Amino acid sequence: MGEVIVVTSGKGGVGKTTTTANLGVGLAALGHKVALIDADIGLRNLDVLLGLENRIVYDLTDVTGGRCRLKQALIKDKHCEGLHLLPASQTKDKTAVSPEEMKKLCQDVAQEFEYVIVDCPAGIEQGFRNAIAGADKAIVVTTPEVAAVRDADRIIGLLEAAELRNPKLVINRFRYKMVQQKDMMSIEDIIDILAVDLLGVVPEDEQVVVSTNKGESVVQDERSRSGQAFRNIVQRIKGEAVPLMNLNQNGMLSKLRRIIGLK
Amino acid sequence: MASEAKKETTSLPEKELSEIKSNFIDSNTILVQRTLRAGQKIHFNGNVVILGDVNPGAEVVAAGNIIVMGNVRGVVHAGAEGNTQAMVMAFRLQPIQLRIASHITRPPDEEEMSGAYPEVAHIKDGVVTIEAFSASGER
Repeated sequence: MGEVIVVTSGKGGVGKTTTTANLGVGLAALGHKVALIDADIGLRNLDVLLGLENRIVYDLTDVTGGRCRLKQALIKDKHCEGLHLLPASQTKDKTAVSPEEMKKLCQDVAQEFEYVIVDCPAGIEQGFRNAIAGADKAIVVTTPEVAAVRDADRIIGLLEAAELRNPKLVINRFRYKMVQQKDMMSIEDIIDILAVDLLGVVPEDEQVVVSTNKGESVVQDERSRSGQAFRNIVQRIKGEAVPLMNLNQNGMLSKLRRIIGLK
Repeated sequence: MASEAKKETTSLPEKELSEIKSNFIDSNTILVQRTLRAGQKIHFNGNVVILGDVNPGAEVVAAGNIIVMGNVRGVVHAGAEGNTQAMVMAFRLQPIQLRIASHITRPPDEEEMSGAYPEVAHIKDGVVTIEAFSASGER
């Protein structure tokens, strides 16, 4: 029986889907059997990020509605052995599935896979309640912005009310330089308010936009800093203690390293 | 031995005990043993004691006093039924808005007003005043 992890945030645009895709690819690259479930019914994105849009025949609502078997709806990733996607429906809305159906679905998928990662829609309404219904653990994604942290706090409260305790935090789109100039919330500021365990910090990286548009993942790019951050998070999900990476990329030494291509 | 231990617990003179009791505006008090996160709300017809923080976006409304053993960053309203004797005390007082009875205040826009020590907010001469908390209880 695998582990069901929901990736959520409250606020939109902080990188839930990107995080889900990268963690899925990262775990599968280490040889694990991983299934990604896109719970954002009506606004599906995960398939686009993975470049699998053209392979969709059946979707999540077809499985819960009994119109196809689970195996038929699961799409195998084109790059990564062991990674599967259960896409959302684009033509229906959040009310097409109930929390009970999602719970059953997550249990069924977890029978076949080691890790099941659920991509939660933004908001706190039914889409959110569906996505967390079958989860054993939660990852909360935020960015170092006041509004995103506020929403993350709300979400953590709702997760606790739903018996999903001790969610782990991912801080996305972190800019070291802006924090140094006191223009952005620091890691300490965020942890001080949210009071949860930090799973990782992903630096802002233009490469993420480039690779997601191509249907690839930064986690597979050895030279990408955000990719390294996601690889570290994958290790921590597996239970290994990995120290936080050095987020200051403007030191002389790291500049020199980048020039000669060491990182 | 046993009787001695029993004595210990009631060693406070009766007079002092009643004085302490009368200092409470309302003897009806609840203890909240967690942090209040954004969107969470407590309304109570009495005193509220919180063992945790009151985060931005959270709200505490009490007919009596509010005591927070942590950081106040949200909205607190003591003496909500009109009691101007009510007070708010916190380890760190940095509320978005602080209300006592019908008085509504917010921190000044520019400066960081709170120090890293316990503070008490109460109404003094018709104005909400925030002072460092001193255990001697001078008010």
